[in-house]
Amino acid sequence: MRFSEGVHRLHWATAPLRAFIILIIYFVLLGFPLLLTRTESGAALVLSPEVLGRFLVVSVPMAAIAVAAGLWGWLGTRFWISGDDLVVETGMLRKRKRQVPLSRIQAIDLVRPLVTRVFSLAEVRVELAGGEKSEIVLRYLGRNAAHQLRAELLALAAGLPSHTPEAPERPLWRVGFGTLLGSLLFRLPVIGTAILFVFSLVFLVVYAELGMLAVAIPALLGLIRAVMAPLVMYANFTVAMSPDGVRLRYGLLETRMQTVPPGRVQAVSIVEPSLWRASGWARLEVTVAGYAGERQALSSVLLPVAPRHIALSLVSQVFPGTNVDAVALLPSSSKGVSLDQADGAGTDDVVFVSRHGWPCRRTDVIAHARAQSVRLTANLVQRMLGLATVHVDAPPGPVHVSAADRDLGEARAIVESTARRARAARRAGGDPGRWATR
Amino acid sequence: MNPTHDEQPPFSGPGGGGQGAPPYGGTPASAAPAQAPSYPADQAFEPGGGLAWAHISKRFTWHRRISALLWAVPIGLVGGFLMSRSGGALGALLWGVAVLLSVALAWIVAELAYRSWGYAERADDLILSHGVFVKRLIVVPYGRMQFVDVTAGLLEQWLGVATVRMHTAAAATDAVIPGLPATEAAMLRDRLAQKGEERSMGL
Repeated sequence: MRFSEGVHRLHWATAPLRAFIILIIYFVLLGFPLLLTRTESGAALVLSPEVLGRFLVVSVPMAAIAVAAGLWGWLGTRFWISGDDLVVETGMLRKRKRQVPLSRIQAIDLVRPLVTRVFSLAEVRVELAGGEKSEIVLRYLGRNAAHQLRAELLALAAGLPSHTPEAPERPLWRVGFGTLLGSLLFRLPVIGTAILFVFSLVFLVVYAELGMLAVAIPALLGLIRAVMAPLVMYANFTVAMSPDGVRLRYGLLETRMQTVPPGRVQAVSIVEPSLWRASGWARLEVTVAGYAGERQALSSVLLPVAPRHIALSLVSQVFPGTNVDAVALLPSSSKGVSLDQADGAGTDDVVFVSRHGWPCRRTDVIAHARAQSVRLTANLVQRMLGLATVHVDAPPGPVHVSAADRDLGEARAIVESTARRARAARRAGGDPGRWATR
Repeated sequence: MNPTHDEQPPFSGPGGGGQGAPPYGGTPASAAPAQAPSYPADQAFEPGGGLAWAHISKRFTWHRRISALLWAVPIGLVGGFLMSRSGGALGALLWGVAVLLSVALAWIVAELAYRSWGYAERADDLILSHGVFVKRLIVVPYGRMQFVDVTAGLLEQWLGVATVRMHTAAAATDAVIPGLPATEAAMLRDRLAQKGEERSMGL
């Protein structure tokens, strides 16, 4: 199947799947209560003919509606590639057509929720810069078709003919289950919460003090949130490099496969919690313009845990021509009184680096070519001390690059030099679209 | 155009009194092409390069003040009524004094804010500065502007001023110039849009 020719629909199984989901919701909310009969002692499940009749009278039309809705959605969604645009049309009576230039693609994700893995279906998400609702979601395609569509979209966006086979990839790192679990447990907040949990349990048992439940339960929920959720989400994490960009695969129940084309990574943050530093681990978080709102939390991790040198080499691949460790960081002014103690900031011709934080150290990196604007701010305390903070702005995301507490004159010099380097980098870099033809 | 803020010394090159900061260069290997001029600390929030701030309209202060009054009247009346029911005449009086003080403060801050706003169009970027308590200086490259819009609320329309807002992909940029005369705002928007188009590029 070739997606660049002709008009395409979603996988046919989308229709029964959607109908099935509607029916389940119906059954839980309305169908099951209909089966219950009121007796003296509350409600009971008595399958007498009249109850079944009542149930069928409501359920059969509902089933028909669900099937119709499923078919309607399936028939109404069509997509095709025309020239340099991906066109998606939804709706039958009131048609809604979205046309997006392929050069604006920020990332392509293949998501396979647990339900759809049974039918070997996959959801294709095309992320575009421009806020909350800007992504295009094709739900669902056959698994092979989804891979094919992704390869064709990326090839066209790279400026290659659409029949180009999928770019080969070079595995870079694979996070083992033990490492992931260890890294999630081996953090100060997690250890602290675990100790709190154990203590409250001991109190609960020894003194029969039920009030301790108010501590134990939130602590347990916090532990689940901080350990179990990332463990399930980032299980089997692999990072690979390909000419199409960075490829990530992860997930235990819901598997995700992200492709971020070159030049689409806006900024990177190397996070080193204090306990990890002893074992030389680091985590990479990333800002990609497409991932806005809630998806930002889902898709902002580039590497959940890896040895520091692996993380740094990945950063060098994402921002070619730089080595973050080689960038000399000038310490910030000793007059600063900020709680979040800034270590320093530095720059080379490719990136601007700032490091701050204690005990969890963050090194924020933004490429000059990606910087949106440069700001200088001085709050009341800083103004009294003659200090200012330089911010290099990236699109919304987890990374905030700022050189805090610089002397005023130096700060302004940083602003000017950063603006100049950004200008030069933009001139040299050009538009990140059609990366294969450059 | 305005007499208050015209003490911009023609800034050129390094030196210029005060504690000049060390040049912020790259790594020794990549020897920066041109050393950043070190800025005197007292000019960190000036436009630099021999430019002068273009200032906004004096009517901006009146916009601030009238909207403060428009807020103060209902807040004063409703709050005063509620206070008089619970705390008697004294409560209402105290509330009235508090509202009056806030209006007086807003009155003064409006003037300070007006003085703090300034913008300058440089060769490749727009630079603007504002802030009464927290001072800000924002450098927005023309090529990074996604779009520029001009808005004017009812009160602004009546005063004949408008707000120009430059949007980049970063929400933090927040480059806004309020209180420009309407025609000047439209001209600025057109100039910025044109410059943005010439230098535009993808994300």
